[in-house]
Amino acid sequence: MTTRPTRSASIPIGPRGASSHSPGGRNIESVISIPFAAAPRPRISSAQSIPRSTVDDHRGLGVSYGARGSSSTAIATSPPRPTARSMAFNSASGRHSYRASSTFEPRVIRAGGEVSHSVDAACLPSTSPVRPRRQSTTASGRGASTQRPIPGVAVPASQAPPVSFPRPSYLDHSVLRHLLQIDTPPTLPPSRKADPAHEHHVVSSPITATSDSDEESNVSPPRELRSAPLPVVPQNQILRLPTRWSDQFRHALLSVSGDGRDLTYHGASCSGDRDAAAARTDHPVPAACGIYYYEVEIISKGQKGHISIGFAGRDVRLSRLPGWEINSWGYHGDDGCSFAAEKTGTKYGPTFGTGDIIGCGVDFTSHRAFFTKNGALLGPVFDNIGKDIEIYPSIGLRHAGEAVRVNFGHESFKFDIDFHVLQKRNHIWSKILNTPLDSSLLQTCLVEQGTSTSALKVPLSEGQTKDVINKLVVTYLEHHGYVKTLRAFQKQRDIETQPPFPISSSPADADVDMVSPQDESSSSDTTERDMERRTRIVKSVIAGDIDTAIAETKAHHVSVLEAEEGLLLFKLRCRKFVELILEAAELKKKMRRIGTAGSHDDGVIEEMDGLHADGMDVDDEDVVSSPQSPNTTNGFGSAAIPVRGGGSGRRRTSMSPTDGEGSLGSPLAQYESTLHQAIAYGQTLSNDYKNDARLEVKQIFKRTFAIVAWEDPLTAGGVVSEVVGHDAKVALANELNRAILRSQGRPPIPLLETIYRQTSVFVSQLGLMGVGGATFADMQREFLDA
Amino acid sequence: MAPKKAIRKEEWDRRLHEVQVTKDDLNRLIMDYLVIEGYKSAAEEFSQEADIAPPVDFESIESRMKIREALQRGDIEDAITRVNDLNPEILDTNAGLYFHLQQQKLIEYIRQGRIEDALEFAQTELAARGEESPEFLSELERTMALLAFESTGSAPAGIAELLSPGQRMKTAGEVNGAILESLGQGKEVKLVGLLKLLGWGEQLLADEVEFPRM
Repeated sequence: MTTRPTRSASIPIGPRGASSHSPGGRNIESVISIPFAAAPRPRISSAQSIPRSTVDDHRGLGVSYGARGSSSTAIATSPPRPTARSMAFNSASGRHSYRASSTFEPRVIRAGGEVSHSVDAACLPSTSPVRPRRQSTTASGRGASTQRPIPGVAVPASQAPPVSFPRPSYLDHSVLRHLLQIDTPPTLPPSRKADPAHEHHVVSSPITATSDSDEESNVSPPRELRSAPLPVVPQNQILRLPTRWSDQFRHALLSVSGDGRDLTYHGASCSGDRDAAAARTDHPVPAACGIYYYEVEIISKGQKGHISIGFAGRDVRLSRLPGWEINSWGYHGDDGCSFAAEKTGTKYGPTFGTGDIIGCGVDFTSHRAFFTKNGALLGPVFDNIGKDIEIYPSIGLRHAGEAVRVNFGHESFKFDIDFHVLQKRNHIWSKILNTPLDSSLLQTCLVEQGTSTSALKVPLSEGQTKDVINKLVVTYLEHHGYVKTLRAFQKQRDIETQPPFPISSSPADADVDMVSPQDESSSSDTTERDMERRTRIVKSVIAGDIDTAIAETKAHHVSVLEAEEGLLLFKLRCRKFVELILEAAELKKKMRRIGTAGSHDDGVIEEMDGLHADGMDVDDEDVVSSPQSPNTTNGFGSAAIPVRGGGSGRRRTSMSPTDGEGSLGSPLAQYESTLHQAIAYGQTLSNDYKNDARLEVKQIFKRTFAIVAWEDPLTAGGVVSEVVGHDAKVALANELNRAILRSQGRPPIPLLETIYRQTSVFVSQLGLMGVGGATFADMQREFLDA
Repeated sequence: MAPKKAIRKEEWDRRLHEVQVTKDDLNRLIMDYLVIEGYKSAAEEFSQEADIAPPVDFESIESRMKIREALQRGDIEDAITRVNDLNPEILDTNAGLYFHLQQQKLIEYIRQGRIEDALEFAQTELAARGEESPEFLSELERTMALLAFESTGSAPAGIAELLSPGQRMKTAGEVNGAILESLGQGKEVKLVGLLKLLGWGEQLLADEVEFPRM
């Protein structure tokens, strides 16, 4: 456990604090720190200035807290407030300039709470974090204009200070961590370069932006043809974490500080329950956290310390302390009791007061809460919390002078929550591993069953488990054509399943031997031949030898080529065309390279054509020393010789008529013949499919032919490279592989992969719903990371 | 109770499609299995064919395999010697494992019809250990019950299964796990973990929502 040196970085209050904004994007997965439009008039009562020094003292002490989070992220904790405010000022004004024009409704009554951020982000690409910084110089002048309401955001201006802090590291244990975000994700990159003048246009930005992009796509038609690979990031909703006390959902007697962390009670001095005042956070706690935790520092307990810390549902009355009302739960400072919809509490922990740091957590795996005091765990409390409703961190105060400051991850926690969550995660994982495998797997994995046990789920025996795994491994190896591995695997499998002593007719044996090796070996020869052939076909495609692939497929799997009106055949033929064009481009490139290398010698042809000796000639004329030295020969020759090597190797099949060692004629002739061949092939292709009205066919055709326009399609970038590149070839090979498998009645995706995907979806769905601790079943970590 | 929510097929398929897993990832899962279960030659071939680095040297797989082979052909004495050659601490520190090996030895005596040997071995070696723990005792009783049946075919399944290859596999698996652990390697086959998670998740989710089955 190390101390965090960077902790101190958040304490000094200096004008350069602004730089602490920049680390924002460093942690890609936790897309988080977003400077925000801020309060022109922070509502902080002067009363607060005194307690705040206490705060800073405490944070000074906090330096020694164990922190498991990476120290780099710590830098991004909220900037010192004075600076923050001036920064915020600028950014706020930036927003105003377009907000004000985009709509002039002064205030939107929102029913939907704070969600409206996302809408903005979606339609205004310019809401990226670079904005505030870019205009910081100019905007400050205009920034003075205090048009309070920001209608789009629909948050009172003081609602949006530059609170930016990294997602606390304990949340990294959640499988859905990528969805857990601190406020609006800066997912949208700026649509164009930062341009001071642009600021003025922003007024109409929604319109210009869209028309711009339309134009763009019109200009470059290939874009619409692009078969965009699906985004790898799931399109799931973003799960926002609580970041601050809501300015909406707080009692009138409470004030919220500009950064949203402090709550101060402003009522007249004490008078019974009716002066209770509560606040809750902007966002509810996503169950996907698995465990959520925040800490509260008691800045001042006032006279009595009637402070309640806990959780509350969305619409719980704000004139009541958390724990009094139904759907609220709280730990009270004056008596140390826990309250869950009750008027008299239950003895729970110690009392707390000024200077104490109270932690409050909810564990969705058990639907219980827990509290900590000054870093010590007080144990679980409450049942069924957060089970049926969304819950928000919530705090209630009752007396003048009471003030608290919350830490949602703005700084390191007093309690070692990382370790706590880690333990929980391990606990859940070992629970999962203790789940017995049951017989339903036999069906899932299509392992033949001796008797049809069907609906009844019984635990699998060791042997059955092995059979299931065996099936997974074998089908996987078959699918991808790992022939040798499969052979070696099955050989050993056969040996070990062969009982050394035939044990008579015990029923137990029958169970264990359900998949007897004999059954499989009877058909294994043909299976293996099939697999070898399929692998060969796939490899031909990847090698660019389309003719062989087509011929072999035609000979053995003709239905594959006929399916979908020959769509796959069409794709293969398109690829063949691509290969021819690439070949021509390659020849041209070589010609040119040798042309320049061979300097004055216009006998490019000779060099190309010639054997080793020719290469040496060139060497001779070049600066390089001894013409006889084999080194130099090779050194230079390596440029020339591969031309031939590559030529004969890679293109053997497509070059058919003219091919043959040494009989190639000049490179120029070679190039021309290849090009002609390519064009002729293309024309045949065009002719063959001219009556095919299918959109997909037309698009593929168009896209394929477009590559002719580029001198070197491989390096052309963009769509062209996508069409001709190696990945496209691999994709085509995979498609062919799947099609052949499908034609044989085999699954187009290996069972193992299906199972993996299925399991992953189970886990994330359960995680989203906060069920069973699935959020701690981290497949990536358990199965994939080394 | 409210009706369960249902997830539509298209939505489900979309999510399946979005799961991030590559062929390399799956290759490593396969490799993990081959190594842990001691499929040495397959692991070697796979390392070549799939172009994937083996997580251990193949020799360590070899020695584990020899031990397992010994167990699988019923040569318990050989297995014990080999385990001790590898690392004597494995059996010293693992009473349960040692007992199971001796139990297996007893089973092999019985299987071979060496009744005298079986009895002597039980009396000299196992009886004392049976007093050490209730689990050992009940296992011992179960094993001795094999002698009560004239042919193993007439024994009830719970007892007859001791003679099955499955029992040898189980013992071999236990030894294998202990060795892997002593080498500081994971002993759980990840594929098994995956299947467990599949079963666990499917069950839980089925309680909550309707979704398209595999």
